[in-house]
Amino acid sequence: MTRDDLLRFADSVAKDAAPAAGTAVPGPELHLVTFALDREDFGVPVDQVREIIRVGEITRVPQAPAHVRGVANLRGRILAVVEIRTRLGLTPGVLSPRSRIIVVEIEGRVLGILVDAVLQVVKVPVEAVTAAPDEVLSPQTDYISGVARWNSRLIILLDVEKVLLLND
Amino acid sequence: MPNSFLVVDDSKLHHQMYKVVFSRGTLAGSTLYHATNGREGYAVLAEHPELSLVLLDLNMPEMNGLELLARRRAEQLHLHIPVVLVTTEATPEDEARGRAAGAWDYLRKPFQPADVEQLVARALAGASVSTGK
Amino acid sequence: MTSEDNAFKALLDDYIVECLPLSERIADQFVELERCWRSGEPADELLPAVKGTLHTVKGNSAMMGLTPMQDVAHALEDVCVLLTREPDARGESSAALLVEGGGLLVDLVRTAGAGDGIEAAAAFGQRVRGFLAQVGRNGSAAAEHADRRKGDRRSAPRGPGTEAAGNVVRVDFRQLDTLLEVLGEGMIEHSAVNEAYRRLMRRVGELEELSDLDRAVVALEKTMKRMEAVVMGTRLLPISTVFGRFPRLVRDLAHTAQKRVRLVTSGGETPMDKAILDRLSEPLIHLLTNAVVHGLESREDRVRSGKPEEGVIELRAASHSGRVMIVLADDGRGLDEAKIQAKAEALGLEAAGVDSGNRHAVIFAPGFSTAEQVSSLAGRGVGLDVVARSIHGLGGTIEVVSRPGQGLSFTLSLPLTLAIVRSLIIEVDRERFAVPISHVAETVRAEADAIHEINRRGVTLWRGDLIHVADGGELLGTTERADSPRRFYIVISSGAKRRGLMVDRLIGHQDVVVKGLDPALGHPDVVSGTTILGDGRVACILDAVRILDQRAAGAPSTGATERRMSA
Repeated sequence: MTRDDLLRFADSVAKDAAPAAGTAVPGPELHLVTFALDREDFGVPVDQVREIIRVGEITRVPQAPAHVRGVANLRGRILAVVEIRTRLGLTPGVLSPRSRIIVVEIEGRVLGILVDAVLQVVKVPVEAVTAAPDEVLSPQTDYISGVARWNSRLIILLDVEKVLLLND
Repeated sequence: MPNSFLVVDDSKLHHQMYKVVFSRGTLAGSTLYHATNGREGYAVLAEHPELSLVLLDLNMPEMNGLELLARRRAEQLHLHIPVVLVTTEATPEDEARGRAAGAWDYLRKPFQPADVEQLVARALAGASVSTGK
Repeated sequence: MTSEDNAFKALLDDYIVECLPLSERIADQFVELERCWRSGEPADELLPAVKGTLHTVKGNSAMMGLTPMQDVAHALEDVCVLLTREPDARGESSAALLVEGGGLLVDLVRTAGAGDGIEAAAAFGQRVRGFLAQVGRNGSAAAEHADRRKGDRRSAPRGPGTEAAGNVVRVDFRQLDTLLEVLGEGMIEHSAVNEAYRRLMRRVGELEELSDLDRAVVALEKTMKRMEAVVMGTRLLPISTVFGRFPRLVRDLAHTAQKRVRLVTSGGETPMDKAILDRLSEPLIHLLTNAVVHGLESREDRVRSGKPEEGVIELRAASHSGRVMIVLADDGRGLDEAKIQAKAEALGLEAAGVDSGNRHAVIFAPGFSTAEQVSSLAGRGVGLDVVARSIHGLGGTIEVVSRPGQGLSFTLSLPLTLAIVRSLIIEVDRERFAVPISHVAETVRAEADAIHEINRRGVTLWRGDLIHVADGGELLGTTERADSPRRFYIVISSGAKRRGLMVDRLIGHQDVVVKGLDPALGHPDVVSGTTILGDGRVACILDAVRILDQRAAGAPSTGATERRMSA
C-alpha cells in the first residue's frame, strides 16, 4: 500500500469525525510533539521525545539502509539519523533552516528523526484518535499507529517503537 | 660460592640502589636478598645462615630495625651474622642503643657504593663488633 | 653535588616513582593542616605523620645527590619540629609557609633530573630560616634531637604504590598499548574465523565432524573476551591518580581569587584506563578553575546571601555498569540564564533544550563564554567547548545542571575501558574515513600511468606484487563524485592479502576511539564502527578485513573509473 492510500483513508476519517472543539469536559489526552514532512503533519508522544536539535553535520554511512540518512555527533554520543520520508516513498528531503532532528528514546535506545519542521506540542483528546485500519497499513506504513483530528488538521501518529525497529 | 647479603628496607628506591651497589667493584657477583619490612627480613635471615652481612633500615612499618635486632637476640638467631643499621643522622646515644641491641655497625645515609664496599670488606675480614666508627 | 656524578643517577625514574606520591601526600597534608588551623581544629595527628614522610623524602633525595629536594625537605622538617613543640606558632603564616614548601617539593621531585631548582630551594630555605629566627628559637639541632628521642616508629599509614617488591613489574605503558592493539587484531581475526565457519556450516550443513570445530570456535570467543578483560585490567589505575593534584590547585586558585574554597573528593579508588586518565586531567582542571574563579561568589557576596563564607566544590567519582561517572559540583551562583539567553541569541543558537537533565547544553557551543572579567587565571572563562571536545574525544559525555543561586554541577560519563585504534584518516569525495594503521601497509602517491586494467579491474605493481586497486568513491558509495583524479592510493593489508584503495587526500594519523555501530545502521559490509574525529565530525571506521574479502564486487570498471585511473 502506498502513501496515497493512507491519505485517502485520512480524508475519509476527516469527513466522518465530529467536530472536536468545544467539548466541556476534557477527557484523557495524548500529549504530542508535531512536525511536518512534506505536506503532512505527524506526531509522536512527547514523553518519548528526548530533545529536538538543529541539523548539524550528518555523516553518511556506506551501505546503511536507505532510510538512514547517516550519523551525527550528539554531545559525544553517536546518533543514527533516520529519514521517514524515504520510507513513505518520498524523495529524500532537502535541508532547510527549519529542518530539525527529533531525538526519540525508548528503553535506552536513542534515534534521530529528520523532519522538515517542528510545529508545536499539542494535547489531543483520545477520542479524536482513530487507529489506522489494516488495509491501509503495509510494511511501509506499519509504523503509523493512527491518525488524530485536531483543530481541523490531521495528525498522523507515529509508533516510535516501530520506527526504532526499522532495520532492513 | 659468591657472598650473599640481605637488605631490609621498605623503600623500593633503596632496593634499586642496593642492586646498583652490589653489582659493582668488589661486590659484583654477589647474591642479594631483599625484604621490605622487619618481619619479612627476619624470615629471610632465619633461612640463610650463610649471609655475610645484613643491611637493616631503621624506620620500617611492621617491625623496625631495632625491633628486629631485639627479636634476634631474644631468639639467639644467627648471631654470627653482622647486621648494620642504616639511618640518616644518628646521635651518639642512638648509636649506643643500637649496638646494645646487637648492631655490628651503623651506615649513615646518604652513602655511596664505596661506603658499603668498605663495610663488607671489614665484615668479611672477620672484624668483631666495632665499638666506634 | 649534583646527580651527575652520583652512582645512582640511572635510578631517577625509580626516585620519582617513589618520592612523587610521597611529596604529593605531604603537600596535601599541609593544605589540610592549613584548612584545619583556619577553622580552629588542631589536627594534632597530622604533623607527626608528615614528619615521617618528609624524613623519607629527605633521605632518598640525599642518596640520589638531589640537593635542592633534600634541602627543602629538611627545611620543612625543621618547621614541623618547631610547630610540634610550639603550638602557639601555628597559624596563618606558618601554614602558608608549609603549603608553599610542599608545593615546591612536589615540583622539584616531579622535574628531578632537569637540574634546576637550586635557586628556588635556596630562596625557600632563607624564608624558613627567617621564620624560625622570628619565632625565637635557635637552629633545629636541639629540637630534632629531642624529637627523635620519642622513637623513630613511623605512624603514617602507607599510601598506594608500596606493594611488596616482589609482586610488581615495571612495564612501559606503550607496551600495554601495543598489547591492546594486538588484542584488537586478534578479535577481528576471530570474527573472521567465526564468519568463515558459519559460511561453511551453511554450505555443508550439520556435520558431526564439525562439532569439534564448533566447540573450538565458541571456546575461542570466550577466551578472547576474557583476554580483553585481563588486558584492560592491566591498564587500570585509580582515579585518585588524577584527583591527587587538585586540592593544591584549588587552594592556589582560591588564594589568588581571594576566596575561601574547600574541595571535597570521593571515589578516588575508582579504577579507570590510564589512557583516559592521562587525558582527563586537563578538562577537569578547566572545570575546577571555572568553578573557583567564576562559579563561586566572593566571600562578601556569599555571606550576604546567607551562604557560608567557604565555598565547597565536590568532586565525586563512581563506576556504574561499564562507565565511570564523575560529578563536579559547586555551591556557587549557578548559570546566569538571562546572559545565556542573550549570548545564545547573539550566536543564533537555541538557549535551552528540552532535556531537563542538560538544559543548558548550549554553553558547550564554540565561542560561548559569558565571563566578562578577564582574570589572569582563567582568561575569559576557559572555553567549555574545548572541555566538551576533550571529553567527547575520550568517548564520553558531559552534561550540566544549573540551579540559579545554588550552584552548578557537571556530570561526566566516561567509558571504563577504551578501545583506541591508531588510524589513518583519509578523504574521498570530501567524506572522511578512518582506517586502522595496522591494516595500512603503505600510502602511495598515484602516478599517472601506474594503474592499469586487467579483466576490467584496476591493478598496479606494488613492491613487486600485482595488487588490485579499487576506487574509494565506488567502494564507499560516495554521493558527490569529485572530478579530479584521485591523488593517492593506500594499500590495505591483512594477513597475506593486499588491495589498493584510491583516495583524494591523506589527512593524517589519529588515535580514534571506537564506538560501535548503532543497530539502526544494519550490517554495513565495509564499516566496522564509528568514531568522532578531532573536529567533532563523525567518521566511519573501515573494516579492512571485509574490504579485502570483497571480490571487487561493487567496483565494476565503468568509463569514469577508467578515465580516473589512467589520467
